[in-house]
Amino acid sequence: MFDKHKGSKESAPPAPEPRAPQPNPGVSTAPPANAEKTAMIGKGISITGDVRADSNLRVEGVVEGRGVQSAHDVEVAETGRVTANISAKVVRVAGEVSGDIAGSEKVVIARSGRVQGNIVAPRVQLEDGALFRGSIDMNPAPVAETRTAGAKPTALDAGAASSTLAPAVTSAAAPATGQSAATSGGEARKEPGLTLKSG
Amino acid sequence: MSGAALQFDAVAGPPRVGAVAARLDSKLFGSLFQTVDVDRRLTVLEIGSALPETVDFFAQFKCRLLFVDLFSEPFVHDQADLSETELRHCFEERFRFPADTRLDLCLFWDFLSYLDDPALRAFNSALRPWLHRGSRAHGFGAHHLGIRLANVRYGVRDRETLNIRERGGRQLRTHPHSQLEMQEMLNCFAFERGLLLADGRLEMLLKPQV
Repeated sequence: MFDKHKGSKESAPPAPEPRAPQPNPGVSTAPPANAEKTAMIGKGISITGDVRADSNLRVEGVVEGRGVQSAHDVEVAETGRVTANISAKVVRVAGEVSGDIAGSEKVVIARSGRVQGNIVAPRVQLEDGALFRGSIDMNPAPVAETRTAGAKPTALDAGAASSTLAPAVTSAAAPATGQSAATSGGEARKEPGLTLKSG
Repeated sequence: MSGAALQFDAVAGPPRVGAVAARLDSKLFGSLFQTVDVDRRLTVLEIGSALPETVDFFAQFKCRLLFVDLFSEPFVHDQADLSETELRHCFEERFRFPADTRLDLCLFWDFLSYLDDPALRAFNSALRPWLHRGSRAHGFGAHHLGIRLANVRYGVRDRETLNIRERGGRQLRTHPHSQLEMQEMLNCFAFERGLLLADGRLEMLLKPQV
């Protein structure tokens, strides 16, 4: 009685396909729909310095600096690694971030995400498997109040805007790494609205 | 993050979160919220790593969540090799919060039963400066000393229910303390309420020692 569908191909449910790792519902693994308004730091790109985007920003490469800032969304993809503070409307992390994150709307750490730092946002969502170490400030007073004692002011507070040259891209490499905005075999695209600033 | 940024890789980090294995009905956890003013901004210390349901639960409050995962700290695993002073310095280093921080709620879970006597006294000393008269804490102790603790972590599902998830990695050695010992060594807190659980643990609600 329990196997009445056995052998009936029509009525049998389709065999489950091998499941690839499920994409995180909170974090798109593809570029956001409006790709033309998304600047990307591609896989294999390493930037040392500050990044300011006038559009959405997707980081698949490496950013090391004081700040990554966008008035829109910032997504750190699974391959992305950011060692800097991030400030944006929505921040989604599927890769690694070491730094403070301020989201004026929401911060999401996906199941593959690893974050070490302090998060300030009205809403914070951790997905099962996300690794987080630090503090979470939800529905807070102004962001500036939440900086930890002794923390250095970030580029997000301190006038990185003055050098915004959107829509052109400027970059200044930090000699220490010699990589900054230079390509290292990966995808290098000059994105409208993306500003890079030496660290 | 300020100062002593610990890298996940450097300390093995909190293991990936296991699925919810069980639920625990808690008669005392909800009491935490009866004595604090939930309309103002809460500061919550959790001794452990962040779990999704805990963050979701506290999202209903205006709050600051401080996650200090002492379970994965090497110095806690090696506590027997360290003096009380050294341990206190280690705890103080992990509790380096902004100077104006005052903890409203402390969630200890099973952590206190993983500290030997010097470590518990050191923990007490390091925590004390961050408490205020309205602070409250919740945790589990032991009501018989032969207790074996499961290697689990806790998430807050709601005011009456805790999620229990398996904790990966090496389990800390258990050091159960009687209620009297606990009161002597964790003297920044006094027992407000206690509830014996069937598995030999004591669910505790603590208030600051006046």
